[in-house]
Amino acid sequence: MKIKIPLLLKPSVPIFARSLLQTKINLYLIEFAINSLLRAKSKNIFILVVFTLLTSLLTSVFLITSSIKYELQSTVNALPQITVQKIKAGRHYDIETSVADEILTIAGVSEAVPRVWGYYYFANAGVNFSVVGIEQYASQYKESLAKVVEKFDFDELGSSMVVGQGVKEVMSANYYGDYFNFIKPDGSLQKVALAGVFDGETELESNDMILMPTELVREVFDMREGKATDIVVKVPNVDEITTVASKIKLLYPDTRVITSSDLQISYQNIFNYKSGLFLALFIISLFTFFMIIYDKASGLSSEEKREIGILKAIGWRVDDVLKEKFYEAFILSFLAYLFGVLLAFGFVYIFQAPLLREIFVGYSQLKTSFELPFVFDIQVLFLVFFLSVPIYVGATIIPAWRASTLEVDEVIR
Amino acid sequence: MKKTLLFMIILLSIQSYASEMFTKRASGKPIFIQEGEKKYWCPICGMSLKKFYKTSHVTEKKQFCSIRCLAVSVGSISSNNIKVVDAKTENLIDAKSAFYVVESDISGTMSEVSKIAFAKEEDAKAFSEEYDGEVISFQKAFEMAKKSLLSDIAMLQKKKEKMIYPMGKKIFSKKCQQDINLSNFYSINELKASLINDKLCKNLKGMQSQAVTLYLWEVKRANLLEKIGESITLSKDEKCPVCGMFTYKYPKWATQIFYGGRHFSFDGVKDMIKFYFDATKWGKYEGATRDKISKILVTDYYSQKAIDGTQAYYVIGSDVLGPMGNELIPFTQESDAKSFFDDHHGKTIVRFDKIVEKEVYRLDE
Repeated sequence: MKIKIPLLLKPSVPIFARSLLQTKINLYLIEFAINSLLRAKSKNIFILVVFTLLTSLLTSVFLITSSIKYELQSTVNALPQITVQKIKAGRHYDIETSVADEILTIAGVSEAVPRVWGYYYFANAGVNFSVVGIEQYASQYKESLAKVVEKFDFDELGSSMVVGQGVKEVMSANYYGDYFNFIKPDGSLQKVALAGVFDGETELESNDMILMPTELVREVFDMREGKATDIVVKVPNVDEITTVASKIKLLYPDTRVITSSDLQISYQNIFNYKSGLFLALFIISLFTFFMIIYDKASGLSSEEKREIGILKAIGWRVDDVLKEKFYEAFILSFLAYLFGVLLAFGFVYIFQAPLLREIFVGYSQLKTSFELPFVFDIQVLFLVFFLSVPIYVGATIIPAWRASTLEVDEVIR
Repeated sequence: MKKTLLFMIILLSIQSYASEMFTKRASGKPIFIQEGEKKYWCPICGMSLKKFYKTSHVTEKKQFCSIRCLAVSVGSISSNNIKVVDAKTENLIDAKSAFYVVESDISGTMSEVSKIAFAKEEDAKAFSEEYDGEVISFQKAFEMAKKSLLSDIAMLQKKKEKMIYPMGKKIFSKKCQQDINLSNFYSINELKASLINDKLCKNLKGMQSQAVTLYLWEVKRANLLEKIGESITLSKDEKCPVCGMFTYKYPKWATQIFYGGRHFSFDGVKDMIKFYFDATKWGKYEGATRDKISKILVTDYYSQKAIDGTQAYYVIGSDVLGPMGNELIPFTQESDAKSFFDDHHGKTIVRFDKIVEKEVYRLDE
């Protein structure tokens, strides 16, 4: 066994230079550490593989969670601040558009827009399209719609529509290339030409969407003029949302007034329920990790103790031994951490988290697919780092320190 | 009288709701008494006379969509020769001998309450039985119209400002010739006729023509400053000179005082007023005297837009807290201030020049 004597122990180096060198990283020690890792190749490769898998699992869980949270948040942010629906006999009913005019007079309201929209069930593909009416010159209640309106003139569109990517795919799979036949409530057909495809900001909200001029939506759903599906209300000062909502409820007792925070809570509830499953997975992987750590920390093999004894016998000090062990542990765990994180990024964002994702996707009733948006959250990386690397390093150094404080002859004997 | 129905009124929209059997639209060929192309529209509001034919009134050479527009045009009814359309036969009859059904289920034209005229009393009675309501004379109906004028105008104005003017502006910039000389027109119906017939605007549909006309007539012609409505801009290093907090963190409460080119930002009206009365108390601000103030900006609580602080209404003693506790809450309009006052248990509403320094300090107690 070839042991290199570290530079800093050479007697010719003056004291002040020694202290200077000590603050720098000692390359000889690192070399020794790498060699020492390679000496127990099979054992260390095994630890590396298990460690990598664990960090990648942990990171994937966190990445998926933050991705879906982001997706949900952007969906919730795009929701109108207040939605007013008419309720008759416990069911959603068409609301009079004149209600919007009255809501406008409430102090604190800047916009009240009657929306004409609905779901159209396309039986051939077994999917629901959201058909949304667009009034070109009215104010748009959503940023994304305002962008679409800039691109397409719904006033000139006549009897044609603009659809989301998902709708386009479903339609062409059913041989509807440049038009689609809607079946009206009376059974007659309404042929609507396809004018274009838009990309939404998030996949969740736009994938199943069809945009048409409002009159055409009325035609398709047979909705009278003067009626709307619901009314969305914009309140510039968010502190006033609850006051405005309660005023609307007082004015129109037959309505259901939904505020954005209500919706946020219900979205969050679904999410929290699902993340319970994730938590179980998370606990299991963490538990496995700590088992390995515990195994390592519970003591060194006699061979390792012997090695430390020999090092001490030839003149190594305790802190040199500890440094060497630290390098060893750090190199191993940091490599595992890096591999794990890279693996997780590839798994989640390139392959879209094949198995893990299934746990979550069920939360949306939409039958349309969505992609996990790329969210780079530095906190996740730090969290996984501190959960893995320092703990492993600690678990290596503490027994090494115990062994190195023993008398040399006691260990070697 | 069902209270909710009171609110379900038609304002400017073209259709008449809640009236599948009875519509205000002329069923046959309507009689227009005005001359020229403008005859199809009301000279006061620009709405279609054909669509609101059954509530239309005639005096001199003018035809109005409703008794409301008549009331706007003529102050009194003593001498004028006023005619009204009989909702039954759709002929013009003398208004003074007509029977009016008010407060029926039919929504009003340009007003909260509809007033529909009949030549025969039995027709009016039959109508009031079917759609509720009360039969009164023209005299009384006119008084009602005059009395509700202010509230009707206020209500319409809200809708116009929030929805119709912005819509009209968008349509105007996209579809119309930009060099329309508005001083060529004497009344709103002339403008509307010209917009449609002289092709000043291309391809106007439905209520778009009304939106453009209202925008041009009431905003552009009157040269009203369109409230562009920017919020106060704050840079990240600005601190409130009174409390030392960063103001960009509280954009909802931002206020500013400009001394010529220099300005100070505050995180609430309270701190701004303290500074306004005595700047030297808060540091070496000798230059910041009251006579050097060029502009005071405060953030309207409801719209979150920057408004002139000296013209605003302030509610004191409400239950809404700013970043520095109790606040003076600013509003552009008195009606907004009043409704906030009711909602949030305010104590007083004051104008800027009536704010007393001592009372502002009392807010901190």
